[in-house]
Amino acid sequence: MPTIRKHKSDLVIVFATLGLMALGLIVIYAIGPMRANVLNNTYGTDYDPNFFFIGQLRSVGLSLLAFFAAFKWIPYKYVKKFAKPLMIISLILSGLLWILAMMHSSLVKCELGECRWFNFGGLSFQPAELLKLAMVIYLADFLSRKREEGVIGKWREFWLPLLIVCGLSLFLVVIAQGDLGTGVALIAIIFGTLLISGVPARQYLIMLAVVLAVAVGSVITSSHRMQRVDAWLTTLTGGESTDSTYHVENAMLAIGTGGMFGVGVGNSVQATGYLPESINDSVFAIMGETFGFIGLFIIIAIFGVILLRMLKVAEGTADFDNRLLVIGVFSWTLAQVVVNIMAMTSLVPVTGITLPLLSYGGTSMIFIAFAIGEVCQLSCYTSREVTRNEDISSRRGVRGAHHSSGRRSS
Amino acid sequence: MSRTNYQHLVTNPAASTSHRIKILKNVVLIALGIILLRLFFIQIVEHNAWVAKADEAHTLLETITAKRGEIYMMDEDEPVAVALNQTTYQIIIDPAVTEKEGIKHALETYAKDYIAVNIDDIYNTEGLRYSIVAKNVPREAADKIAAENLGAVWFKKNNQRVYPEGDLASGLLGFVNADGLGQYGVEGSLNDALSGKDGLLKATADVNKVALSIGKDNVKIPAEDGKNVVLSVDRGLQKGVEEIAVDAINNTAATNASVLIMDPNTGEVLTMANLPNYNPSDYGNVKDASAYINYTTEVPYEPASICKSFAFSAALNEGAMTADTTYFNEGYTTVDGWKIQNAEQRASIYGTINMKTALYWSLNTGSIQALRLLGGSASEITQQGREKLYDYYYNKFRLGQISGIELIEAEGFIPDPNEGWGRDSVYANMTFGQNLGITMIQTATAFSAVVNGGYYRTPFIVKGTMENGELVEKPHTEAIEDKILSDETSAAMRDMLIYNRNYKVRGGIDKPGYAIGGKSGTAQVVRNGAYDDTFAELIGSYIGFVGPEGELPKYVIMVKMWGEGQSIESGDAMNLFDKISNYAINYLKIPPKA
Repeated sequence: MPTIRKHKSDLVIVFATLGLMALGLIVIYAIGPMRANVLNNTYGTDYDPNFFFIGQLRSVGLSLLAFFAAFKWIPYKYVKKFAKPLMIISLILSGLLWILAMMHSSLVKCELGECRWFNFGGLSFQPAELLKLAMVIYLADFLSRKREEGVIGKWREFWLPLLIVCGLSLFLVVIAQGDLGTGVALIAIIFGTLLISGVPARQYLIMLAVVLAVAVGSVITSSHRMQRVDAWLTTLTGGESTDSTYHVENAMLAIGTGGMFGVGVGNSVQATGYLPESINDSVFAIMGETFGFIGLFIIIAIFGVILLRMLKVAEGTADFDNRLLVIGVFSWTLAQVVVNIMAMTSLVPVTGITLPLLSYGGTSMIFIAFAIGEVCQLSCYTSREVTRNEDISSRRGVRGAHHSSGRRSS
Repeated sequence: MSRTNYQHLVTNPAASTSHRIKILKNVVLIALGIILLRLFFIQIVEHNAWVAKADEAHTLLETITAKRGEIYMMDEDEPVAVALNQTTYQIIIDPAVTEKEGIKHALETYAKDYIAVNIDDIYNTEGLRYSIVAKNVPREAADKIAAENLGAVWFKKNNQRVYPEGDLASGLLGFVNADGLGQYGVEGSLNDALSGKDGLLKATADVNKVALSIGKDNVKIPAEDGKNVVLSVDRGLQKGVEEIAVDAINNTAATNASVLIMDPNTGEVLTMANLPNYNPSDYGNVKDASAYINYTTEVPYEPASICKSFAFSAALNEGAMTADTTYFNEGYTTVDGWKIQNAEQRASIYGTINMKTALYWSLNTGSIQALRLLGGSASEITQQGREKLYDYYYNKFRLGQISGIELIEAEGFIPDPNEGWGRDSVYANMTFGQNLGITMIQTATAFSAVVNGGYYRTPFIVKGTMENGELVEKPHTEAIEDKILSDETSAAMRDMLIYNRNYKVRGGIDKPGYAIGGKSGTAQVVRNGAYDDTFAELIGSYIGFVGPEGELPKYVIMVKMWGEGQSIESGDAMNLFDKISNYAINYLKIPPKA
């Protein structure tokens, strides 16, 4: 195993992340006033036109703090010491939320019948977001330990504790909070890290089949979820509009009207109240209207670059624990990006999931920024190009004259 | 999988996971590839279809309603509004979303009288959305409720026509129906000018249908508001006349009366009354639609002996006779084998009498004699006589022609002098106002020409428009002013018509110092194409002029009274004229001869 030196971080991920945050700010700046206007007209609220922009500004500020804290200030080796306590705290908070919600406590904020937030005098906090981060850190620690112990794939030592922790997390998120979106992200994190942990393929596929069966079963038995699937199929096949198809139809209307180049910043009509959740879950559709196919292509390319660079970091990370952490963050990001965009384009049913770094919403952005910050920190410790083929041109940070290997004479 | 495999994995993590990382790489590429294909399909392939769908959903197409013009009458020299617009609001709430207690409290505080439903019932109805909770709410109250800033409350604007004078001059004003269309009277006749031209707003709108500044082809054509019409009618005079006429209806067998007052020197209409009135704000509750009719312009009839003044004017003006020309009165005369009788059969007027006396007693033989003289014969009605009478009636006095007043008018008819059977008897009847159909406005305008020095002037009732609170008088550029009678003819007619009322002067009814002349008319009603000789139903009319002695008349008053199946003699009409005449002298402050 080659010795790993600290080198420069993966600046592509860093700048892609900062770029997406800036883009999110611009879009919220343009459509925030429309959102405020719609809410004021419909519900008689009294939001300032800049309310949502200022909120997003605050979220971006806090997210930058979280990002740089994870990236530069707090070494990951300290963070991973808290893998277990963090998981326990997350589960306790989610459990507490569930209990307080049943007691109709004023500390719990509910929207549209789902109680997912703690409310401390105007500041709200969503424990499910913390749970996702905790899950990533916990699984990285757990799976790498089990791997060192050589018990991966064993029922008692490996599957049982894993099923208890993951099952409890999914129960608290999907059943207690009714948050299918976070559930999907958790499942992605679990199966992403499991895949890399070295679980035998047969066990992995069986477990995947079991989870899929449970998921299908829970959809079929819940009229609420069945309605969403039904709405999705209706939209996909171009059937009659109903109240349930309204959301996706208007998302597609926004995206479709964008055309090749988009209508331009500030000219979105769908954001003036037609498209529900225009600033958070549906922000991708508004971006489609505003920036067109070209704009969305670029946004998807940026996400694609982030995701592929994360895989590269994972590949280059020698420490197995760290590799699993990167894969966990990768799975989390991938799930949110793909499920959010596919829902907006009617490729999958709507689950209610934010688009990382772009959607309005404090907690989700802060935690994913922290998670990506960790990846950036770990990117400083990769064994790049796996030592083979290493030549002088890849030695970043090495000063002095460089001589190209294939120099042409003039 | 064998145990050794694990050992291999544990000892060399990089090699063990790199192929699984490749799987994840493929997942990324495939997922993002599917998404991009899908986006290409939605944004490029289906783009036009989505744009069409968006236009349909986002475009607000709204007519900007033009404000209906107001109607004014004159009050001495100041215009005063008699038909106004009032904006009221319907309040609509969405009980599923609205702040229930807040809106209830606001409604009860500011618009208690206008609440249209039981609010608690609305709140208790499961699943109910968008309910109208208050109607006809005045602007101030609606503003106050809007200021409370409650959610899910909407205000729908209604424009209502209001008549501040109640039922005053309803037959003249008409009304505005539920569709905003003027019906009958001024509202109907001048609907185009009053309603203006609606504008159009085509804009991209937000979900609450508020127009946005976003959008490429927003169109705004502003509405052109309707004109504020100022009538020449004097409100006070109209009101006084209506009261007198209602009194007359109550004290005679008549059920209806129409009164027209105009200035014979200008053609300006000062009063146009049709009694009984109805309430134009509540036009729907009128049982008989005939109440809407403006009888002064819309209904031709036979004013009877009033027309003798036209036949006499024609003969005088042609030099065929003078007031002193004599003929032999037998109490009747025979035309085409028909015996035509006088109504007045007293012995003292048999024998040779002059035309002045004949008019005084309103003798049919006298007016028939005037027709004969007009044709150049003392004993027969000739073709020339018929043609001349037709020329005067139709071409000069414009009887049977649209007068040109700004209201809906009936044309009426004057028989052709040369066509059809029994022309002589038809024309003999025409001299005393039968066998023709003319409206009150035609009659009064023609009569004005008889007494004003011989000028036919187009009557008018629109004085001008109100623009920015100022009366802008309308130039009567298309009005006809036609000298149709000589000064002498007009003077002679005034003399004879004053003489006609002389007994009134002696009776002390007309005030001294005024020149008041007039002519009555009692018309039989045509039933089944023939005159009803039982006289079971008669229409009484009277027309006269009033002015200071020795001067041209200041105004002409025409009165018509009738009732279904009622026999109304001209005496009733004359009594009404007397009262109106005296009222008008006072009201218009016409000074007597010094």
